[in-house]
Amino acid sequence: MKWLRELRRYPSAIVGMVILVIFVLFAIYAMIAIPIDQAVYLWRGSGPWLESPMRAAPLYYDWFTRDKLPRTFIITLEDEGVTVTEEMLGGGMKQLTIVLPFDYDYDGLPSELQLYQDWQFETGQRPSVYLTWKKPDGQIIPLHPAQERLHRDSFPTYYISQDKALERVLGAVAFPDVRDPILPPHMGLLARDLEVPSLADIKPLHGRYEMVMQCVMEQGVELREVRLRVYGQIHGWAGTDHQRRELIVALLWGAPIGLAFGLLAAVGAQLSTFVLGGIGTWMGGKVDAVFRRLTELTMILPNLAILIMIAHFYEPSIWRILGIVILLNIFSASYMVYRSIILQTKESPYIEAAQAYGAGGFRIIFRYILPRLAPMLLPQFVIVVPAFVFLEASLALLGLGDPMLPTWGKVLQDSQNQGALLTGHYYWVFQPGLMLMFIGFGFAMVGYSLDRIVNPKLRSL
Amino acid sequence: MREAFGRLGRYSLLKGVSLFLMVVVALYLTVFIANWGGELDKIRRAQIKYDVTVGVSMAFADQGLTQEQLQVIIDDAVATQYRRFGLDRPFIIRSFYYLRDAVTLNLGRAEMMTSDYGSRQVTDILKDRVPRTLLLIATSELILFFLALLIALFLSRRYGGWLDRVIVGLAPTSAAPGWFYGIFLILIFAAVLGVLPYGRMVQIGVPKGTWEYFFSVLKHMVLPVSAIIIGAIFSSIYSWRTFFLIYSSEDYVELARAKGLSSQAIERRYVLRPTLPPIVTSFLLMIITVWMGMIILESVFNWPGLGQTFYEAMQRFDTPVIVGIVVIYGYLLAATVFMLDFIYALLDPRVRVGPGGSR
Amino acid sequence: MKRSPRRSSQTVADGLRRSRAASTGSVLRVEDLYLHFRASNGTVQAVDGVSFELGRGESLAVLGESGCGKTSLAKAILRLLPRNIHRFTGRVFLNGTDVMEFGEEKFRQQVRWRQISLVSQAAMNSLNPVVKVGHQVAEPLLNHHMSKEKAFERAREVFGVVGIPEAFMNRYAFELSGGMRQRAIIAMALTTNPDLVILDEPTSALDVLTQASIMNALKKIKHDLGQSFMLITHDIATSSELADEVLCMYAGQLVEHSKATRFYRDPLHPYAQKLMASVPTLRIEKKPEFIPGQPPSLLNPPSGCRFAARCHRRFERCQEEPPLFTHEDGEVKCWLYEKGSRDGE
Repeated sequence: MKWLRELRRYPSAIVGMVILVIFVLFAIYAMIAIPIDQAVYLWRGSGPWLESPMRAAPLYYDWFTRDKLPRTFIITLEDEGVTVTEEMLGGGMKQLTIVLPFDYDYDGLPSELQLYQDWQFETGQRPSVYLTWKKPDGQIIPLHPAQERLHRDSFPTYYISQDKALERVLGAVAFPDVRDPILPPHMGLLARDLEVPSLADIKPLHGRYEMVMQCVMEQGVELREVRLRVYGQIHGWAGTDHQRRELIVALLWGAPIGLAFGLLAAVGAQLSTFVLGGIGTWMGGKVDAVFRRLTELTMILPNLAILIMIAHFYEPSIWRILGIVILLNIFSASYMVYRSIILQTKESPYIEAAQAYGAGGFRIIFRYILPRLAPMLLPQFVIVVPAFVFLEASLALLGLGDPMLPTWGKVLQDSQNQGALLTGHYYWVFQPGLMLMFIGFGFAMVGYSLDRIVNPKLRSL
Repeated sequence: MREAFGRLGRYSLLKGVSLFLMVVVALYLTVFIANWGGELDKIRRAQIKYDVTVGVSMAFADQGLTQEQLQVIIDDAVATQYRRFGLDRPFIIRSFYYLRDAVTLNLGRAEMMTSDYGSRQVTDILKDRVPRTLLLIATSELILFFLALLIALFLSRRYGGWLDRVIVGLAPTSAAPGWFYGIFLILIFAAVLGVLPYGRMVQIGVPKGTWEYFFSVLKHMVLPVSAIIIGAIFSSIYSWRTFFLIYSSEDYVELARAKGLSSQAIERRYVLRPTLPPIVTSFLLMIITVWMGMIILESVFNWPGLGQTFYEAMQRFDTPVIVGIVVIYGYLLAATVFMLDFIYALLDPRVRVGPGGSR
Repeated sequence: MKRSPRRSSQTVADGLRRSRAASTGSVLRVEDLYLHFRASNGTVQAVDGVSFELGRGESLAVLGESGCGKTSLAKAILRLLPRNIHRFTGRVFLNGTDVMEFGEEKFRQQVRWRQISLVSQAAMNSLNPVVKVGHQVAEPLLNHHMSKEKAFERAREVFGVVGIPEAFMNRYAFELSGGMRQRAIIAMALTTNPDLVILDEPTSALDVLTQASIMNALKKIKHDLGQSFMLITHDIATSSELADEVLCMYAGQLVEHSKATRFYRDPLHPYAQKLMASVPTLRIEKKPEFIPGQPPSLLNPPSGCRFAARCHRRFERCQEEPPLFTHEDGEVKCWLYEKGSRDGE
């Protein structure tokens, strides 16, 4: 264990260890704060993420721009300033007028607008809802100009920003000279002015907005809940993806999964190669020859291709994948490295002595040779961990990983599929990327420094 | 001289045969795994049915047979073909039939994919794609080899200097594979700076002139080749420079100095030459990793080579192509191992002479 | 065209005798040579003020225990210095010229292998594994711009001198037995006809029979060619075959330099006496002695006479470091010889 102390002499090793400790803390935090079942559930999407914006950048983007980037906020019946007035009309009908005000002072437009209403009614008793939008400059815009009131399909969630009819109407008003003009509602409803070169340059009007709901209904109908969802452009520690999932879940959970996979695979593969190296080299002759041929075979076997083939045909879980990976790496090239070291030890006098007093082959291998050489194993093992972490990421990138697990590779795959680089959602790429990079570097830095300590040839330099 | 050729020739032959046998074993494993769930059988059966149906329909077209009569003939023919292809035999035996096809590169027809000229033959599809992958690999590996070698040699003379420490500090960058750097390179140079293309081999709207075509390909090669190089260069420089340092402290190097040889002569003949064999071995391991990594790298860069074909075949579930590519990979890797073993034998006389020696 | 080995060595020998006879004076004269280098925990004083002279055609044996600095002495003379030098001073006269004054390049071209060559320790690893042996032997000549044919012909000559069949010119190092390799190294050292050949433990890794045949070959070369040797070894017995004079080192210092006839029979310095007493002899009935204790570390040598702690003849004067006293048969670094003759005997 004295190598731990020696490690302190190398600055890269210290940096590496710090990085690894940070990741281990991430992993522990992930497992405690979001237990695996919950993580898998969250990662399935939809339900828990309804009020999360789509493809939103991380909150910290706000620090890097002078503009104040919009965040998501929800207006509900309980909020301050919201008024609900009930008025009885004749013939068993009543009218509910709900005013949902909000102040908007962000420098960017919202990414989406939605209105969720939870009505309780019997069949055929659906209320008639009329929506009006009031801008700070006094402009009043009815939200369903084509039909008189909110259409049946808009219950319970009216996707305001995806209303095609509204799009066309707003467009026609804004760009009378253009043929077939459209103006997306979340832009048109909050635009400051439209004398701009392109849609992307539209800035929001600051001030107080109001969404007015006039609902006419029969007596027994009740309004349980209203939620005006104004989705922002930034959200969460790490932003969101195309399924509104907060990336921080996957970024956090990528740590324990990546670490576990990498470490287990590395241990499994290297340890088995080491032990087999001991057995093969000791027994020499046919056994050694066969093992060496197997090592060559492993070199020729297109490991990744076969792994992909297996994953593609048989869709194994991550544990099975781990097992197969270890199996494919038992006779890795490290066999020859261990073999040359063990060969030297085999000739040494204390082994002869052990034989002289009757120690059998396996005892010699497992009690004398391997334990003494175990320190040599350490740097190799540490250096090789990133390869397995990236292997898991590679499989995920190709769409072959465990589809239910939130891993860094999965996030990268989503980002590639969704063309994140083309659409400018760089955070989607560089966040998981940096995670992978740092964990890889962490292990590699520690491993290379260990190598310089443990490897006798390097020590004398 | 002739004696040297003889030794080398014999060594190459033995090595070639041994590698070929390995390839056969590897292919058998591939076939075994692929057919474990019966995928290959399914394809075979489907292809037989298709071929027979078409063949019988055409042969009996003018004979005015009813559908049922035709069906009887077809079923009969299909059963015969099944027997012929060993589909009625147990799993192990079937595997040997497929193995034979794999070894002889009789890879069948793709289900959906085609080659550039429309051929469905898997071998034709692969014939199109393999050279493109070779282009990337050959270019990057050649640059990588000579660049790393020169820098490693240069560094070994300046042990402990600041440049040495910087490079040693950068060695861990090879923990990340090439495709990883590829993504970041695209992010920086294509997305943010916009100076290099996002991917593909040639610009859309293929240029007419040969020069323009050549330059377009060159431009598209910059990022993928850089990705491959960045992913491997620093650890190679580190490990080769370490080799040089270790081998520079050998006794024969000191004696060479005592002999009054110039430092260039010493470096060339007493440090570089004896160290080349282990360098070649380490290089070989690196190339193998790169071959495998191409599957992902090409997908990231949309480069129309072997790796991307693999990915595409997976998307479309085109099993014959998938298996065919794994087979080709086996051969390609074996060829790479052979080539580098040959170079190793050229460099290290100890390997050429058998255990008996030439005495 | 094949020549029998004996004939070729005669040709070479005659040529050499003629050229050697022409010059006089000492081949090597070393004055106050110091080589100290830095270790992680201090300064190692490997060679600490060594001075001696070697005449033409004479051979010198340098004896001492492991770690006494004899190999460092050889390296110092040939300027094969490690990276961590602390002090490297003194004068080294080769054929009358002080080569310590030479720049690195001049030294490389004019001294190395031209005037001095080296047969190194651990000859097993001294041959380049990937270059043919013949080429390596011819290499120093090729380096000095001799034509390829002439260089290889000369290589064949020296192969004959040391007794290796010509066929081995085209072999690689690993194809030669241990003894052959050692001969090849010796051949390599003789190729350029140097004035002095330094041999550092030439036979320590070989079995006794091979040792004997190598020593015989060296004796023959010494006799036929009049070659000067400086033989560094801890094997006292075999060194006696070749040496005309003996240099005895202890803890980095020269403690005795006397004629071989004197040294092997009746050495002057107490350390040398103990050394000779430890060698078993075939004919005389004697119990080999040993010297108690350990040689001092070169890191922090004790003040005063460095052998005093283990010396069976020490007295109060030994607390001060003795200078090198001249004696009729040589020089001794011991207070017992202060007045120029043996004391207290």
